[in-house]
Amino acid sequence: MSEQVISKDLWEAIPKENKDAEIISRPSMTYWQDAWRRLKKNKLSMVGLLFIVFMVLTAIVGPYVISHDYSTQELTLANIPPSMEIYQVDEDTYFYMHSEYKLFDVTKDGVLVEKIKEIENDMTNRRRVYNIDGNEVVLDYSYAVKKAEDNPEGIKFKLLLNGEEIKPFDKVHNKTYVFGTDALGRDMLARVIYGARISLLIALVATLVNFFIGVLYGGISGYFGGQVDNVMMRIVDIINVIPLLLYVILLSVIIGSGLKSIIIALGSVYWVGMARIVRGQVLSLKEQEYVLSARTIGASSMRIMIRHLIPNAMGPIIVSMAMLIPSAIFTEAFLSFIGLGVSAPLASWGTLANDALGGLRSYPYQLFVPSIAISLTMLAFNFLGDGLRDALDPRLRK
Amino acid sequence: MAKQLDQNDVLLEVKNLKKHFISRHGLMGQHTTTVQAVDGVSFKILRGETLGLVGESGCGKSTTGRTIIRLYDVTSGEIIFDGVDISRIKQREMRQYRKKIQMIFQDPYASLNSRMTVGDIIGEPIDIHNIAKGEERQKIIWNLLERVGLNKEHANRYPHEFSGGQRQRIGIARALAVSPKFIICDEPISALDVSIQAQVVNMLQDLQNELGLTYLFIAHDLSMVKHISDRIGVMYLGKLVELANADELYDSPNHPYTQALLSAIPVPDPDATKQGQRIVLEGDVPSPINPPSGCHFRTRCRYAMDICKEVEPEFLEISPNHFSACHLNTIEK
Repeated sequence: MSEQVISKDLWEAIPKENKDAEIISRPSMTYWQDAWRRLKKNKLSMVGLLFIVFMVLTAIVGPYVISHDYSTQELTLANIPPSMEIYQVDEDTYFYMHSEYKLFDVTKDGVLVEKIKEIENDMTNRRRVYNIDGNEVVLDYSYAVKKAEDNPEGIKFKLLLNGEEIKPFDKVHNKTYVFGTDALGRDMLARVIYGARISLLIALVATLVNFFIGVLYGGISGYFGGQVDNVMMRIVDIINVIPLLLYVILLSVIIGSGLKSIIIALGSVYWVGMARIVRGQVLSLKEQEYVLSARTIGASSMRIMIRHLIPNAMGPIIVSMAMLIPSAIFTEAFLSFIGLGVSAPLASWGTLANDALGGLRSYPYQLFVPSIAISLTMLAFNFLGDGLRDALDPRLRK
Repeated sequence: MAKQLDQNDVLLEVKNLKKHFISRHGLMGQHTTTVQAVDGVSFKILRGETLGLVGESGCGKSTTGRTIIRLYDVTSGEIIFDGVDISRIKQREMRQYRKKIQMIFQDPYASLNSRMTVGDIIGEPIDIHNIAKGEERQKIIWNLLERVGLNKEHANRYPHEFSGGQRQRIGIARALAVSPKFIICDEPISALDVSIQAQVVNMLQDLQNELGLTYLFIAHDLSMVKHISDRIGVMYLGKLVELANADELYDSPNHPYTQALLSAIPVPDPDATKQGQRIVLEGDVPSPINPPSGCHFRTRCRYAMDICKEVEPEFLEISPNHFSACHLNTIEK
């Protein structure tokens, strides 16, 4: 083996400017841009996010857009369902028969005009006679109380137009009250939108309380550690073992039931879970070298907390926030449902559900509307929370 | 590297430094265990000098460094920096020294806050000490980036976009931002690739020459330490066992532990390894919670005698500027 000689002039020194040129060609992406990119890939949480945005917008502008007020009672138009079976009288005269055996004047496409006044109401024979545009309409609802052998078909009533029996012409959506009306003739849509306002207010309170009290409390407890941590966490334990329901009941006794006592009760205890999470995060983050480095530079505890610890704990904070908000909304709905919430005429989803209980068998839509609103909102927040957890914690990424 | 150092110009003197960590157990903290992480370490560092500190994991090298910069409170002993004892002063008074003493950390991935841009990371010490604002601050940051071999365009990027070596340079730029006199390098190269290690070490040397810095260089890679250090201290279980000029320590190690450490350096020659000069230490490092009596090294020392069990060997100057703590030195004489 001979040694190969490379002549010196083949070597050339790289100019100094190029020597250390370190170029990054990848576009600069912040943590949040990256997380957003990952979140966008998760369809379910994007649906959740869109729903939340939609709900927020509806709650803000909805009351100004819809034509009905949440508190105006229209007692003649009570318990009108969202979907109506209409009967034809002549070319452009239709009526809707309500399950309470009342007739309403409607148009063909479902706009409710008014209640039709009967000209004769024979309560002993269970018979009502109406005059619609000169046509005689007879409603005979005596079948409902007849014995089975007299009523083999099991029908409840018969409608006779000028002596001839008529059958439903069509099933149309209620154009005047899209979600129907409640027992006092108030528009369900307007009430559900107002309920959304209250739920979102609760969500906002929960967020603020979590963020300001929970994050700060947990941060201080974790950062200072030792005895401080011990005392602060025992306080958290004590707050945590007292049931929320008890707080609300006690507060209702002192300041009266209503939204205020729910907000105060939630505000005073709802940061506890967040404080625990932040404390855990800070406990592990404060041993990181960048925190030590900030201390060797001479950064104050406040600066270390705000610039270094909280931004790095932001992922878990946001995720648990997204999970705590639906539970706050649900808590409010539950408290309203058992009668500790907002008082009439204000509507929250919980009180709407409670109001619907009386007429549950006849008008189940009154329960469905607020329940579906609660369920969809909670699902949306949970989907978003799940997506955020995956997006903000790359270790959990598939 | 022959640096002209004034033997009387001592920048940092550590006298009998101790750092014990006390952990409490039990309901009311009635039981305690004490970890004697640093247990009586003394050395001097001259202005412009690099003192290497070596030893195996858990021997207290990093704790020594962190205690000097007062990340930990001193249990006992003195840290005299530029003539002032900073071991007991309050954190508020310590602030002015934080501009003079800086630290470079081991893990380039953990030592930079991933939510801040590189410009903000380097700018943070400038903000804290109100050194400059606005355009001037920007200029300082750009200068620092260029000084450590990065571009000024990098100031707007985030740490995760950089490689380990680049991140370590950002860490160095941050340490330099306050124009310190003394930098504690806490294993700055052990997390890097070998090819990058040389770059970073050479850069540290260039910076030392340009800016007249003094280093305490903590590492466990002996060949790299020899390359950068003027003098080297060897630590074992919280104590300094040998301290000598780099060349002398390598040529004539005195303490049995140093001998064992040096014999473990791989030699790039297969024949040399076969001849078997390696001293293999038996067993593990004893726990610093309950260190052996007398000489801490006696449990693993092949020369261990009865006296080692009872008397702690003194840290004596066995030849000019060569200190060692071993009974063999006193008995032979």
